[in-house]
Amino acid sequence: MNLTILSLIAVFSLSCYFFGKSKVLKQTKISGKKFHSLPEYYGYYLAAWCGLPALIILFFWSFSELYIVKLFILSDFRADPSIDENKLNLIFSEIKSIAEKNFSGTIPQNLVPYVEKFLSLNKILELSKFAVIFSAIIFSLSFAYSQILKNIRARESVEKVIRVVMFLCAAIAVFTTFGIVLSLLFESIKFFTAVSIFDFITGTNWAPGRAFVRDASVQTADVENVFGAVPLFWGTFFIAMIAMCVAVPIGLFSGIFMAEYASRKIRRIVKPLIEVLAGIPTVVYGFFAALTVGPFFRTIGEAVGLNVSSESALAAGMIMGVMIIPYVSSLTDDVINAVPVSLREGSYAMGATKSETIKKVILPAALPGIVGSILLAISRAVGETMIVVMAAGLGANLTINPLEASTTITTQIVTILIGDQSFNNPKTQAAFALGLTLFFFTLVINIIALNIVKKFREKYE
Amino acid sequence: MKNQKIKISTKNLNVFYGAKQALFDVNLELEEKKVTALIGPSGCGKSTYIRCLNRMNDVIDICKVEGSIKIDGQEINKKDVDVNLLREKVGMVFQKPNPFPKSIYDNIAYGPRIHGLADNKNDLDQIVESSLKKAALWDEVKDRLNQPGTGLSGGQQQRLCIARTISINPEVILMDEPCSALDPIATAKIEELIDDLKKTYTIVIVTHSMSQAARVSQNTGFFHLGKILEFNLTEKIFKNPDNKLTQDYITGRFG
Repeated sequence: MNLTILSLIAVFSLSCYFFGKSKVLKQTKISGKKFHSLPEYYGYYLAAWCGLPALIILFFWSFSELYIVKLFILSDFRADPSIDENKLNLIFSEIKSIAEKNFSGTIPQNLVPYVEKFLSLNKILELSKFAVIFSAIIFSLSFAYSQILKNIRARESVEKVIRVVMFLCAAIAVFTTFGIVLSLLFESIKFFTAVSIFDFITGTNWAPGRAFVRDASVQTADVENVFGAVPLFWGTFFIAMIAMCVAVPIGLFSGIFMAEYASRKIRRIVKPLIEVLAGIPTVVYGFFAALTVGPFFRTIGEAVGLNVSSESALAAGMIMGVMIIPYVSSLTDDVINAVPVSLREGSYAMGATKSETIKKVILPAALPGIVGSILLAISRAVGETMIVVMAAGLGANLTINPLEASTTITTQIVTILIGDQSFNNPKTQAAFALGLTLFFFTLVINIIALNIVKKFREKYE
Repeated sequence: MKNQKIKISTKNLNVFYGAKQALFDVNLELEEKKVTALIGPSGCGKSTYIRCLNRMNDVIDICKVEGSIKIDGQEINKKDVDVNLLREKVGMVFQKPNPFPKSIYDNIAYGPRIHGLADNKNDLDQIVESSLKKAALWDEVKDRLNQPGTGLSGGQQQRLCIARTISINPEVILMDEPCSALDPIATAKIEELIDDLKKTYTIVIVTHSMSQAARVSQNTGFFHLGKILEFNLTEKIFKNPDNKLTQDYITGRFG
């Protein structure tokens, strides 16, 4: 139904555009009347008046529709004090699914009259929606048409409409971010009412599975002991460090190579090849780490008499480092290229060699940008999930041995939320608390990094 | 022009950017401890020419330099020449002041450090001070040597670049339109400086300003479409040029 209305509105708007445009053209031709704006602006004007009010009504109507129906249907049940809000919702969804013929099982007889009521209400509402929208279209169109005949400044109105539409799109993006942050925040607050924030940040024992067993009758003592997130923070930090040990030297040097040493031809080939690394799905890296690199380290370790677990921080960190190389190398390449040629020439003209120039002039000048790129890479490493899920293991060990299994914030979020979960026990809420922590970390790193990069850009523009 | 020692000479110098030829058989002889000005309309090859003299064109991938360039009788346009040593001997000042993003002190100390000219901090301080003095900048910056060179005014920056160039005791200083980004007062200061420097150094200056060429140089060469059309004493060129095109150019009829 909504789809039909939407396509009708689209067709109407389109024809309004052509109608408005040709009307103005014709008027100009017949009576020689001079219009303020170009003919197509009158077309847009008419189309906007046709489409926008209708769309707005459709939007709000569709949102309130279900609510109104619910209000009517459930009024009888509401009288019964023994039925609480959850129960009411359950009844309503039952009625709805019966009406939409999605219900499986025997239909409860006491609900049948309500189903009929639901259907008839729906029909009335749909019809009136149709009527309201199309009368709105006719009304606004006749208004717009009279405005056109009055030779209004259509160009200015159209600009206003465009501005508002653009603003709305931007607003949606911003509100979505706020929504996500708020939902993280609220669930985390629920979690922190059950578990003290201090224990979460400083505790060293992470075993949320034990809290889950008790579920409804969670005992405080237990909850306090199992949600210590320090091993996760440490694992995240540790694996990110290993990744950076791989990514920073290789990325930095390949970036320098591409910017300073490679001829244009080589650069044109090598740069996209390195960037392919960034395009490989992380799950591919994940099984590469888990099935090839992990066992490889294990074999080597056994050969020299070391005890290496096949899921290790080392394997995950190294593969993650490989994944991050292009982030570092690309950005390094960019910032080095942003260092003005005149500085290079100045240094060469002093008789400096290439490497002296790079070391003493270019790198210091590009340093803020390089630091920024490394920070961005770190935030990428901290948020990376798939590789660590597959290759780092699940054991929340507080260890500095890179050959042991380790776990990260992201891995734990995944393991907590996999499978069917009820949403109101501390174990599930812990995932939100972890997510919030992670979000906070990466946000801070990103803000710092972007600021550094921005300062660098300002300096040379 | 007789009885003067020739510092730089080029014979049949041809320069190509890819398929495009920028210089055609340029033959020039530049005298020691004189200022030679190169003038000519934009794109005529003057900058390309002086960038040959310290092999700065090596930096550009597609640039190919053919012919002979001799400094003190030594051929420099061949593969086995150490360009870093060459550039130590032939310094360059660029069109836009390009101080390094370092302190004033480090800007000057850059060259001496690279070439190992100072044994200790004291020597280095000496070099920095004398270079800045020679560039007539010392009095303006002596109290803020640790501040960034990029914080100076345009004219000061250019003098800093000149000081940087002379810090390694070059024999030749190439100047590629050194005043084009500066105001008249700063320009006057640089011109004064050039006059002073020619006692010690051989100077080649590319300029778009006729009056500047007339003021600072002893010899002038006129480039047109990659060829040297006329080369003579500055006085002669500006008063009574042999070539009609030179006459037209310096009187502002084209270019």
